[in-house]
Amino acid sequence: MSDELVLELKKLIIGTLRLEDVFPEDIEDDGPLFGDGLGLDSIDALELVVALEKVYGVVIPDSEVGEKVFRSVNTLARFVKEQSTAK
Amino acid sequence: MKYDETEIKVRFNEVDSWSMVWHGHYIAWFEVGRQTLLRKFRLLPGDFTQMGYTAPVVDLKCVFKEPARFDDEILVRTTILKPTKAALIFRFQILRKSDGKLLASGEETQVLLTLDGRMLYILPQDLRERLQPLFDYLDEPDSAA
Repeated sequence: MSDELVLELKKLIIGTLRLEDVFPEDIEDDGPLFGDGLGLDSIDALELVVALEKVYGVVIPDSEVGEKVFRSVNTLARFVKEQSTAK
Repeated sequence: MKYDETEIKVRFNEVDSWSMVWHGHYIAWFEVGRQTLLRKFRLLPGDFTQMGYTAPVVDLKCVFKEPARFDDEILVRTTILKPTKAALIFRFQILRKSDGKLLASGEETQVLLTLDGRMLYILPQDLRERLQPLFDYLDEPDSAA
């Protein structure tokens, strides 16, 4: 996975959710974003979906897709890359 | 965005040992405001279910500024924000009718689930269309202003 995209997504997560005292290097590429990991919740997912559509034009319609996509920054990056090249 | 208004009167069983309304009742009053507004547009819980959705509350805030007391006439003011994401965000104000004093304010967020429990990340078109008359109503100039 491109390091550049992974870093970009980490910055997007931090910026969109206004995470204080969290830096890109604090987020593990394969670490969980929700629950025990970064601790994001369902409202955070909704905010991220809006930002991802705005920046990358990708659509995550519901939690069924979201649970797979938001598993980690790496799974998110893979999804963004696949959806972008599919267009 | 204007607020929809409904009135209630503080009942004896709503006050605590200090003769002030117990804090939890303000949340019930928010619910009165919300149901009054949604009933006007046939958007009560049963209507959501008919469309194939439920809308559970995931976040609730209340700021208490002044106490309400037994027999006070209360104005419950309710509005809903235009959605920027797949959530319904209501705002509330609780005022004492006699002097218009703001007693409490609050905000409540509901997300949307399908009946089989999938959370929607995009506001569905059919619901957007059902919500539009509600937003049009709240966009109208406030007659009390």
